[in-house]
Amino acid sequence: MGLVDKNLSLRNRNKMLIGVWEDEDALLSASQAVVDKGIHIHDVFTPYPVHGLDRIIGVKRSRLARVAFFCGLTGLSLMFLMIWYMYVKDWPVNVGNKPVRFSPSWIPVMFEGTILCTAFGMGIFFFLRNRMLHGIKNDLLDDRQTDDRMIMTIETCEGMDEKGLIDLMKEKGAVETREFHNGIQTVI
Amino acid sequence: MIHDSLIRERLVTGDKTAADVTRDISRPILNQPSSAWKIGFTLSLVFLGIFGVSLFWTVWTGIGVWNINKSVMWGWDITNFVFWVGIGHAGTLISAVLLLFRQKWRMSINRSAEAMTIFAVVCAAMFPVFHMGRVWVGYWALPLPNAFGSLWVNFNSPLLWDVFAISTYFSVSLLFWYIGMIPDIATIRDKVKTKTAKFWYNFFSMGWTGSTRSWARYELVSLILAGISTLLVLSVHTIVSADFATSVIPGWHTTIFPPYFVAGAIFSGFGMVATLLVVARKVMNYENYITIGHLEAMTKIIMVTGTLVGIAYLTEFFIAWYSVVEYEQYAFINRATGPYWWAYWSMMSCNLIAPQVFWFKWARTTPWFIFIMSIVVNVGMWFERFVIIVTSLHRDYLPSSWVMYSGSLTEVGLFLGTFGIFFTCFFLFAKFLPVINMSEVKTILRNRE
Repeated sequence: MGLVDKNLSLRNRNKMLIGVWEDEDALLSASQAVVDKGIHIHDVFTPYPVHGLDRIIGVKRSRLARVAFFCGLTGLSLMFLMIWYMYVKDWPVNVGNKPVRFSPSWIPVMFEGTILCTAFGMGIFFFLRNRMLHGIKNDLLDDRQTDDRMIMTIETCEGMDEKGLIDLMKEKGAVETREFHNGIQTVI
Repeated sequence: MIHDSLIRERLVTGDKTAADVTRDISRPILNQPSSAWKIGFTLSLVFLGIFGVSLFWTVWTGIGVWNINKSVMWGWDITNFVFWVGIGHAGTLISAVLLLFRQKWRMSINRSAEAMTIFAVVCAAMFPVFHMGRVWVGYWALPLPNAFGSLWVNFNSPLLWDVFAISTYFSVSLLFWYIGMIPDIATIRDKVKTKTAKFWYNFFSMGWTGSTRSWARYELVSLILAGISTLLVLSVHTIVSADFATSVIPGWHTTIFPPYFVAGAIFSGFGMVATLLVVARKVMNYENYITIGHLEAMTKIIMVTGTLVGIAYLTEFFIAWYSVVEYEQYAFINRATGPYWWAYWSMMSCNLIAPQVFWFKWARTTPWFIFIMSIVVNVGMWFERFVIIVTSLHRDYLPSSWVMYSGSLTEVGLFLGTFGIFFTCFFLFAKFLPVINMSEVKTILRNRE
């Protein structure tokens, strides 16, 4: 599995059915109804986080928390090694004849290093995983998907009852339904 | 079970829809700047100019143009440093601690508070950096391989901890602010018309589309960043307080300093947030987003933290008496009754006594009064740092070294000048970036619970 989440790209896909909603409650109930029919929802694009939607459409729990933990451990170890090398190995300083070894005064610098590596390590993985890399063109289906509209996309496959699905979306409050194929959208 | 709350007061008033939020918040970005913005920005540039002149004079002539001397070797500079770092802390508190506590009222104010954090830390960093005198060798504060016989930095020194703490604080706050802003930058990207604007908002939105997968990760990252920023903000001001507490100067060498400084930082930071937002909500027409309820919540925090700081002042006095250490006792009696009594009592009245007025609902819900009180809080907190630094230093163990200290014109210029940096940045932010977190505010329009 690559680092970049391939699900986020809309290129090289079969024909997609698109439903547009303006109300989050209607969107949630529509998503549940579609999933209950055994149909896989490719993605839902919303202008703000709609809680519960990720579980309905089967988005797996992100592992970024674990990534953050390991980045933190790396930061802590690196800072410890740095201070140990500079302070014990390379140039021990005699302060009041105290032994040259780990002391609580190392903790603040180690702590700050841990936080720095956690934040930036996790940040880098967040951008990579989310396909937020410069040079990749964003796939916008609607100018208002970052404003007030919510867009559901379903990738079609052999034997799918497309007409039934469009009717279900309309029945569940979709204000518009479209077809998306080879970069061209058609209202249906 | 999620339903619309019948009893809770709405966090966003005026029956706004998601489209209204986008329109209202992006208005200053999409339109020409208002005359209020132009006047404010010009005034900020004047202060920025004062900063430039004072800084040039300091670097060109040397630190001798400041009135600091060998007894009071820290004067206005470190006072201003602690003052600005403290102000910065409220931004992290609002966005991180209140996020962990699931306080939804933070959503209208967190963006501007985080921006304030970043600009305040920039202002703060100016003082220790230029206090070095020979600023061009400032990189000696970093643990870099060098040609001085492998001499490294001193990891036992809180001043070095500061280098790490402040730089980490600045960079992590910047990351937190930027990641939080990406969905809103994408919203602006899809609204702007001109080619240049489209290019820049597109560049900084990093191709955000609002996919559910991205949102899930975004929320997780925000939560973790909030968790570590909370630890970070506590550690930063603890380390700033350690600059004083680890020394053996009477009045500084106390274990109460870390919690006392953190409480003071939150207090002064909320003071500055209130100053900015009372004006911004009026001028930018955001009264439906930053409601009286928001101001009231902030004044409650100001009152609580002000009282905490007040208790710390009194505890210091008690401990000085209880310690039976005559130097410690003298330091505190000198603070309250010595030549700097006016600074001490300004601090006491602004920080402990004045915020008690917020016990009254009228005081908590009247914007012009909150504005005046927020200025009082900031003046008081500046005096707090001045009192701690100058009164402890001006009379040390050796009476022959006793001196008086007052800031020189250059020091005053530098301090006023940092307001120029701060407000210039803030005005630019208000013009080019969404001052209110649109995507978060859209989630609280319906008053769910």
